[in-house]
Amino acid sequence: MEDDERERFRFYEERSDCDSDSEGYVEDLVDDALCYSSCDIPKLQLRKDVSKAQWIEELGMAEVVEKKGKMWTTTGIVRDGKIYCSIEETLFLAEIGALHIVNGDDTYLSLKDLYEKIAIGNDGYGSSWESFEVYRHLKSLGYIVGRYGVPWTFKSTKINSIAENGASELDGTSCNGSRHNIFITEMFTNLQFGEVKPMFDVYLPNSKFKKSSPGSPCFLLCRTSDHPPSKQATEDLETRCKGHHIKFCNVEHGRVNFFSFNKVELPILP
Amino acid sequence: MGIRWKGKGAEAKALADPMSKIVSQLKCSLIEYDSRGLLSGFSVLIEANEEQTGLFNRTCFGRRNITTEKDKQWFQLSMEEAFYLSYMLKCIKVVGEDNCPTNDDELWKYAISKRNNFPNLFKAYSHLRMKNWVVRAGSQYGVDFVAYPHHPTLVYSEYAVLILSVEDDNSNGRLRVWLDFHCTLRLCGSVAKTLLVLHIDKNCSAATSPSCLESCLVEERTVTRWNPEQSRENQTTVQKEPSN
Repeated sequence: MEDDERERFRFYEERSDCDSDSEGYVEDLVDDALCYSSCDIPKLQLRKDVSKAQWIEELGMAEVVEKKGKMWTTTGIVRDGKIYCSIEETLFLAEIGALHIVNGDDTYLSLKDLYEKIAIGNDGYGSSWESFEVYRHLKSLGYIVGRYGVPWTFKSTKINSIAENGASELDGTSCNGSRHNIFITEMFTNLQFGEVKPMFDVYLPNSKFKKSSPGSPCFLLCRTSDHPPSKQATEDLETRCKGHHIKFCNVEHGRVNFFSFNKVELPILP
Repeated sequence: MGIRWKGKGAEAKALADPMSKIVSQLKCSLIEYDSRGLLSGFSVLIEANEEQTGLFNRTCFGRRNITTEKDKQWFQLSMEEAFYLSYMLKCIKVVGEDNCPTNDDELWKYAISKRNNFPNLFKAYSHLRMKNWVVRAGSQYGVDFVAYPHHPTLVYSEYAVLILSVEDDNSNGRLRVWLDFHCTLRLCGSVAKTLLVLHIDKNCSAATSPSCLESCLVEERTVTRWNPEQSRENQTTVQKEPSN
């Protein structure tokens, strides 16, 4: 695990929504105190190894031009031998100072520029501020997070999860015009009331993770509209994603919450 | 199943005395004495002799009314409990103010007139009781029921139960917004291991007689929070082992 990632974990563990066994009120008070205090906020360490990427507007992704550090084994997708980062990956790395991003004309893209990009409309390059919060929360804890339906690399013969919109992914010979479809899946457009859609493939922290054979994700993380999923929507999703464990997330006021709705059958007792 | 027993001898005690057996004994005793319950408001009051007192306590049906009467005890049954004993187990008769036993349909209609959600409430209650779970009121915890795998003195409760009727749009139901989940889960944490949602067939709420209930399906789903911080700690040690 990278030093900066460890730093990030500590930062998040202090800030995170501690849903500990005691469920006491004490943790929340401490958490709020940290949020609102102006001093003693842990700072991320400045890195020495900074990678460089170029933002490609037509793709809505950043192409890595200089790779530094070990994080690239679990970040970015591989196409034609190059690594491309989604907006959430790019923003995450930029926030921790691990990535410098430039435009086509080599001008520097600041954090502010990136924040503006993700805020654009309801389809900020396939993402949204809330989905970025979810991504950041899990990534900081060491989980490996990829967009649902987007293979890590074209070399893998097995698609690691059911790709609903990824039909064009399988055709490696698409021309430039449809390259946009290869990278962006329409996951973050507005959802109907009670509608649910898979958002991320989530893998457990794994130092031996390989993009060429990632295996099955630990679970699929789904987003919902601002209302919890209806029973029908949950069932439809389970049918579509047969074989995969599903979790739902809800982001509120900067806190990310995860839920599982599992079908059970209570045993008949003696 | 990971039943959490209270104390050392608890499991053995429970295995020696399965709930189905004790309920059966209660049923026999009530039939033998032609027991009648008195309908009063949304409760049914019932007299119990010494043996029945013990059986009511061991099966967790009813609450005892503390009185100074010596030779008999009075228990107060909730409407679902009374209806279960009367309609499902057929071991008590419920009498109205005219001292005449009510039939099932009459009692059903009466119950619905007091609580129009009674069909769902009763379906959920009997669904769990039929599987020999002990079902107690949960309103003090913000849920419909609390379910135990055996007597509460022997086990911790397994589930806090919330009833959801399957309507096309759950806008009149429970757990409508995310805050409802946060709220209920928070309360649940201190009283039971897991939040259990029982989705009940929408036909149930329209049941005009208890016989309609038989065809109503009940789907069980648990609602749990996932804590990525804790899960990660449990898992990373496994991941560090060399792969094949």
